[in-house]
Amino acid sequence: MPKPVLRGLIIVGFFALTAFILVPAFVPRPAFIPGFAPPPDMWPRTVSLAGIALGVLALLFAVFRPRADEAPLETDGSSRARMAGRFAGLMLAFVLFLAAIPVLGFLVSTMLLTLCIVLMTGERGHRIWIALLAFGAPILLQLFFSSALGTQFPKGVLTKPFGF
Amino acid sequence: MLNEILSALVAVATLQNLLIMIAGIWGGVIVGAIPGMTGTMAVTLALPFTFYMDPVPSILLLVALYKGSTYGGSVSAILIKTPGTASAACTALDGYPLAQQGKAGKALNMALYSSVTGDFISNLSLIFFAAPLAVLALHIGPPEFFMLMLFALTTVAGVSGSSLLMGLVSAALGLLLATVGEDMYGSFRFAFTPDMQAGLSIAPVLIGLFALPELIKLVVMRAAKKEEAAKLGAQHVTRAEFMGSLKTILKGSVIGSVLGAIPGIGPSSAAFFSYGEAQRSSKNGANFGKGELEGIAASESANNGACGATMIPLLALGVPGDVITGVMLGAFMIQGLTPGPLLFQTNIHEVYMLLIGMLVSSVLLFFAGKITMRMFAKVSLIPQTLLTPLVLLLCIFGIYSIASSPFDVAVLLVMGVVGFAMFLLNIPAAPFLIAFILGPMLEENLRRALAISRGEPAVLLSSPITWVFAALIAFVLFITMRREIQKFIAERRVNQ
Repeated sequence: MPKPVLRGLIIVGFFALTAFILVPAFVPRPAFIPGFAPPPDMWPRTVSLAGIALGVLALLFAVFRPRADEAPLETDGSSRARMAGRFAGLMLAFVLFLAAIPVLGFLVSTMLLTLCIVLMTGERGHRIWIALLAFGAPILLQLFFSSALGTQFPKGVLTKPFGF
Repeated sequence: MLNEILSALVAVATLQNLLIMIAGIWGGVIVGAIPGMTGTMAVTLALPFTFYMDPVPSILLLVALYKGSTYGGSVSAILIKTPGTASAACTALDGYPLAQQGKAGKALNMALYSSVTGDFISNLSLIFFAAPLAVLALHIGPPEFFMLMLFALTTVAGVSGSSLLMGLVSAALGLLLATVGEDMYGSFRFAFTPDMQAGLSIAPVLIGLFALPELIKLVVMRAAKKEEAAKLGAQHVTRAEFMGSLKTILKGSVIGSVLGAIPGIGPSSAAFFSYGEAQRSSKNGANFGKGELEGIAASESANNGACGATMIPLLALGVPGDVITGVMLGAFMIQGLTPGPLLFQTNIHEVYMLLIGMLVSSVLLFFAGKITMRMFAKVSLIPQTLLTPLVLLLCIFGIYSIASSPFDVAVLLVMGVVGFAMFLLNIPAAPFLIAFILGPMLEENLRRALAISRGEPAVLLSSPITWVFAALIAFVLFITMRREIQKFIAERRVNQ
């Protein structure tokens, strides 16, 4: 499916979901609204309907006024499947990071996330810099924020005995 | 008034404020000089730190970062033909050929002189035009404010990205996200989790949207560039060379100041416009693109010339003209200051401090640029594979420290993914952010206007000011659509 058509479908789908499912379910109307004030769902509904109209226009343009191909994305030449795998890996890293905070604490979780991200960028040289970045930088930042700004970072269930 | 100015001058001239501005300018120049790092990123990364500062120093820090990064963008543009910021794209056209001729130092110096001149003139325009505009703005009510914000949003949507339609879609997404949380009558909208009842904070949304997609792009696409920096070579701009470019610098500064003051235009468009105008009117026009100092002068004077002027609509009307001033609006609000006409009545001391600080930062920009010019060649070579994860780390720590909320960190990461998806779908991010920031004010003014008029929508076109804004919106839509139709016809001709 051409990208502009897919884009139009995604836009229409998202705003339709919002207008017809999310707004009725998640924007409650209060029993009493003072004066002639519009209800709380007026604005999100209006914006969603406008979004649907814009999406339909995008779809019509994509079908009836096809433009020259959009500029290709700059990549390292990997296949789509490989790039999708990298994206999935990154999402997994983000989810695991959030899940790890209560268990391993903020410091260890950020260390692991940083190391993971540096390796995911394909960087294999500069090993000392990688180690400093992954392990030294989070310690420095935590020291800075906790001592200078008084931020209390969450400690992990497993790492609490060690003070972080 | 003189007493106010003098007391503001004394308040600004403290060691702490000067150090903050110097740090901001240097930080901005360094960030701007690194390809892939933008002024927006510099300002957004600094935002969490401003929570712990007094109002004026915090805004001065952000302004200094903005100015520094706008100039810093020229460094990598000249040395490695990779503009550090979009507004330095034109600088690369003449800067890099000059660097190849062994005149990188000369090009950097011309960029610095032009940037400082443009910046100073822009600050003067802010001082002279913001207050009168604020006085005028005192006489406008909810319908006029609604139309004004709609105009700002339409302009940003029109000039961001390659399509008006996608700009409007982006704005609609931003408006929708802004409705999350408690509304003005106490209803909780889209509160899927208890954390969402308070709405989404500006900082994680904007930092996620602008800083993280670069990281995700790097991980998924791995298109990091490795460039060789040119030697600085011949350093000095001669008096004759400077005088020869002075007219272009002044013209670029005025272009930057005028275009910067219009919401949505910003430094990049000003630089392109100024470059085109200089090429058209210069007797050296044929040399543009081959290593012409005047080309650098035109581009740099205009992009820095827009910096101060973008603060005019922000301070006078409370309407941010671009993403960076959007971030600054957030910083003002965090500090308990509300930009807009009332700011000039309730916080005039802070306003004067800010204006004086901005003038001082122009002078500091000159010295910071001069002193650190040799260091820049090294800065622009830091590998992105190390730098981008560091940015993520700063984002995570910075966002967590604002409210000690893991939810905000989750919002940051989710918004990074949203920003990446928008990049893949060619939907510009700037209208999204401006709409997210303006959304609550836009809705509040609309609902107040409708409540006052007993539900009559015609109130939105009930006064001459609303007609003017409606006409401006129609004009922007017409101009943008005409431009797109012309582009489409040209593309079709090429394809045939």
